[in-house]
Amino acid sequence: MAEDVGLQRDVTVNGDFHSRTLHLKLLRKQWQIIALQVIATVALVGMYLEVVSTYVVGSIDHTMLFDTIEVLIGQQLPIGDFLTGEGNSGLGRFSVPLVLGLSLGGSMAFLAFQTPKTQQRIKLGFIITLIVVLVGRLIISWGFSMLTSFDLRLPDQGELATLEWPLLMIMSLMIMFIYLLPVIMGTRGIWGLSRRSIAWSIGFTLLFLGIHAILAFPLINGQLGTYGEALATVETQFTEPTIGLFGLMLVTSEQFALIMIAILIMVFQESSYGVIRYLEYAYRLPESCKRDPEYVRQMDNVLNTHLKHTFGFLGLTGIATMVALGFHSVLLDIVEGSTGSQWAGQVSESIELSLTYGLVISALMFLSIMALLRFFVPWERVWGLINSVRGQTPMTASNPAKEVVEL
Amino acid sequence: MWTRKASFTFTGGIALVLIGMMISNLQMMILGLTFVAFIVVNSWISGHGEVEVQRTLSADNLYKGDDLYVELLVTNRSNRNTQLLEVYDNIPHEMKLRSGLNQMRLNLKPGESARIRYVLRCPLRGHYSIGPVSLRSRNTFNLSVDEMYVDHHSDIVIFPQIKEVEEAFLRSRTPKMYTGATTLRTPGQGSEFYSLREYVPGDPFKNINWKAFARTGELMVNEKCRDAVTDLYLLLDSRDIARIGTVLKNPLEMGTVSAASLAAFFLKRRDSVALAIFDEKLSYLPPDTGDKQYFKILSALAGVSPKGSMPLQAVTNSLSGRFSRGSPVFIISSCEGDGTVPAAVRDLVGRGHEVTVLSPSSIDFERLVSRIPRMSYEVLKLERQNRLTTLAGSGAQVIDWMPDMDLSQALMQVRGY
Repeated sequence: MAEDVGLQRDVTVNGDFHSRTLHLKLLRKQWQIIALQVIATVALVGMYLEVVSTYVVGSIDHTMLFDTIEVLIGQQLPIGDFLTGEGNSGLGRFSVPLVLGLSLGGSMAFLAFQTPKTQQRIKLGFIITLIVVLVGRLIISWGFSMLTSFDLRLPDQGELATLEWPLLMIMSLMIMFIYLLPVIMGTRGIWGLSRRSIAWSIGFTLLFLGIHAILAFPLINGQLGTYGEALATVETQFTEPTIGLFGLMLVTSEQFALIMIAILIMVFQESSYGVIRYLEYAYRLPESCKRDPEYVRQMDNVLNTHLKHTFGFLGLTGIATMVALGFHSVLLDIVEGSTGSQWAGQVSESIELSLTYGLVISALMFLSIMALLRFFVPWERVWGLINSVRGQTPMTASNPAKEVVEL
Repeated sequence: MWTRKASFTFTGGIALVLIGMMISNLQMMILGLTFVAFIVVNSWISGHGEVEVQRTLSADNLYKGDDLYVELLVTNRSNRNTQLLEVYDNIPHEMKLRSGLNQMRLNLKPGESARIRYVLRCPLRGHYSIGPVSLRSRNTFNLSVDEMYVDHHSDIVIFPQIKEVEEAFLRSRTPKMYTGATTLRTPGQGSEFYSLREYVPGDPFKNINWKAFARTGELMVNEKCRDAVTDLYLLLDSRDIARIGTVLKNPLEMGTVSAASLAAFFLKRRDSVALAIFDEKLSYLPPDTGDKQYFKILSALAGVSPKGSMPLQAVTNSLSGRFSRGSPVFIISSCEGDGTVPAAVRDLVGRGHEVTVLSPSSIDFERLVSRIPRMSYEVLKLERQNRLTTLAGSGAQVIDWMPDMDLSQALMQVRGY
C-alpha cells in the first residue's frame, strides 16, 4: 500500500504520463506558486508606489536629497541622473530606481539559491571590487609616486582627492538603497523565500509610516519649521467622497489611496508568506508523499484556494473598509432623512461628526455589525448553497475527475 | 479560535486606530480599520464541513517487528469546501513510521475524498489502538484555527515474535492420561516403528537395523512414529521485577518471545500447550491444541505487562492439580526476588514433571541500562549461579539465558543438564 505510493503515477486515459511531484524543484515552477509570487511582487510595487506618491514624491524624495547634497558640496554627484530619476517629475523619479531595486532584490534571491561556495565567491568578489573602487586609485597613484621618487610619505591632497568620487558614489548608492529598501528586501523575500526579508520590507514601510505620522503631528510638525512644511500630510477633515460602489460614493481619493496601501501591504504579506509556508510543508514531506498523487492533488487544491481567497477576502476587506468609512455619511443621511427635525439638521452639520472621531467610531460600529452578522447569517449554508448551484454537491462530486487513472 | 496572528492583527488594528485618533493621522486610522476589517471578513467563514473518516488496516494481528499498512480515507460529506484542513491520524507512540506520513494538509471540495497511506513498524508487542483522527481546520490566512477529533479507532494486536525452535526435543515420559496417546503418522522420536530408511551420518548407532544391513548390504536405520500428544505447561513470570532492562530487551520481552516460540513449536507438532502468566494475579489458559489455542496464547502474551510479585510456589500449588502426570513444565522466569522458586521446582519434579527453567539473566539485563561495579556484578552473578545450581540440583533442567543469546541457542543448553 504505502510502499506502492512510490510506484503510483498519474496516467491519463490517453496514456500520457505526468510525473508531477512535490519536489521543490518542480513545485517552484508550478503556476500557482509563480502566480502567488507575481501577485506578491505586484502588490509590493503597488504598495511602494502608493506610499511614495502619497508621502514622498515632491516632499522628501531622493532626488530632492541629492539636489541638496549637490548644493552643499558644490558639485554633481557621480551617480548618473538617469539612474536616480533626477530631472523627472512625479512618480517618474522612481521608475528607474524601482527597476534597479527589483533587479537587485532578484539578484539577491538568485544568489540565495546558489551553492554556499558560489555565494562565498560572489560575496568575496563584491567586497574586493568595493575595496578596489574605494581605495584602488589612491593606492596606485600614491604607491607609484613613492616608487618613482624613492620617498616614503603620506598621500598628498591630489591623491586624497581620488577618494572623493568613490565615497560620493557609495553614499549615493547607500541613499538609493535606503529609499528602495522595501522593494529590494521584498523582492528578495518573495523570490528568495526569506521570511526575514519580507518582515524587513513590511517593517520598514510601517516604520516609515509611523515616523511620518509622528512628524506630521501638528505639534511636532510646527517645531520642524520649513522642513515640517515640506512634509506631505493627508487631510483628516471630512470632504466629499468621490469613489464608491454602485453609484454610492463612499470615500475620498486620498482615503482610497490609504486603503490601497493597507490592502496591498496585506496582499504582499499573505501571498509571500503563503508561498514560503506551502513550500516548507512540501519540503518536509517524506519522499514517498512527495510522489503521491493524492498529496499533489491536495496541494493543488490548497494553492487554488489561497489564490481565490487572496482576491476574494482581501478584495472584500478593501470593500468593507470603504463601506465602513462611508458608513459615517450614510448615518448622517439617515438621521437627516428620517427625522427632518432641527436636531437632525444639527447632527448632520455637526463638526464633531465630520471629524475623525465620528468617522472612526461609525466605521468601527459598522465593522462590529459585520462581525455580529456572523452569528445571524449562516455563511456555511450560503456557501453550501452556492456550491450546490455550481453543481458541487457530495452526490455529483463523489467521484473525482476521471481523466486520471490510478494504477 | 483566533490564532496569535489574528490576535496581534486585531490588537494592532485597534491600537493603530486609537493612536491615529490621538495624533489625528488618517493613514494610521485607515491602516488600523483595514486590519480590523480583515479579521471581520475572515471570521465569516470558520470551521469545516462534515468530514467522514474511514481507516483500513492491512491486518488486525501482527507479529512484533512486522509492518502495518494503514489507509485513511477522508471524505467531505458537506456542501462546502473543508478549507485548509490538517488531518492527523494519531498512532501509538510505540509504533514508528516507516514510510508515508500519517498527516496531510488538504482542502476537499464537496464529496471529494483523499487517501492518506502510510506504513507503521511495530517494534513492541501489545494491544494497540490507532486513532482518533485529529482534524485542525485553518483559515487560509492562518487567522483562525479549530481543532476536533473524529472518534474513529482501529484496534490491533501485536503478537510476540516467533523464533525458530529446532532442537527442543521435549516429550512427556507418560502418554496423555485421558485422550490416550495418538500415533501420528509422522517420523520423529517415539516408540512405534514408522519405516526403514538409509543411514545418514549423525544417526545414532542404536537405531541401525542390523538385519536389514545384513540383508541388503547397506546401512539402514529404523525410523519411529512420533509419540503424541504431549501436554506442555508454560509458566511465564510477569512480575514487576521482569521489567529490568531496556524497553526492547528485558526478561519479560524475552520471556514472551520464548513462550510464543515454544507454543508455536509444540502446537505445530499437534501437542497441547497450556499457559500460565503470574504477575499480581494468576492467569491460566488450559491445555489445548490447534490454531485457536495458538491465537489465544499469542493474544494473552501480547497483553502481558510487568506488575505484582506473586511467588512461584503459589502458582504451582494452585495449578499442580491440573497438570497432566509427567508432562513437561517450562518455567520462564529470571528467578529473582522470589525465595519460593527452589521449593516450587522441587515440588514439581517430585510430582514427576520434567521441569525446564528458562531463566533470562536479569543482572545482565540491568547492565544494559546501568553501570554495575565489577565486584558487585561478580557477586551478583555468583549468587545467581548458586541459585540456578540449586534448581538444577532439584532435578530441573536450567537454562541461563543471556541477553545476546538466541532462543534456539539457549535451548541447546538443555542437553547440558
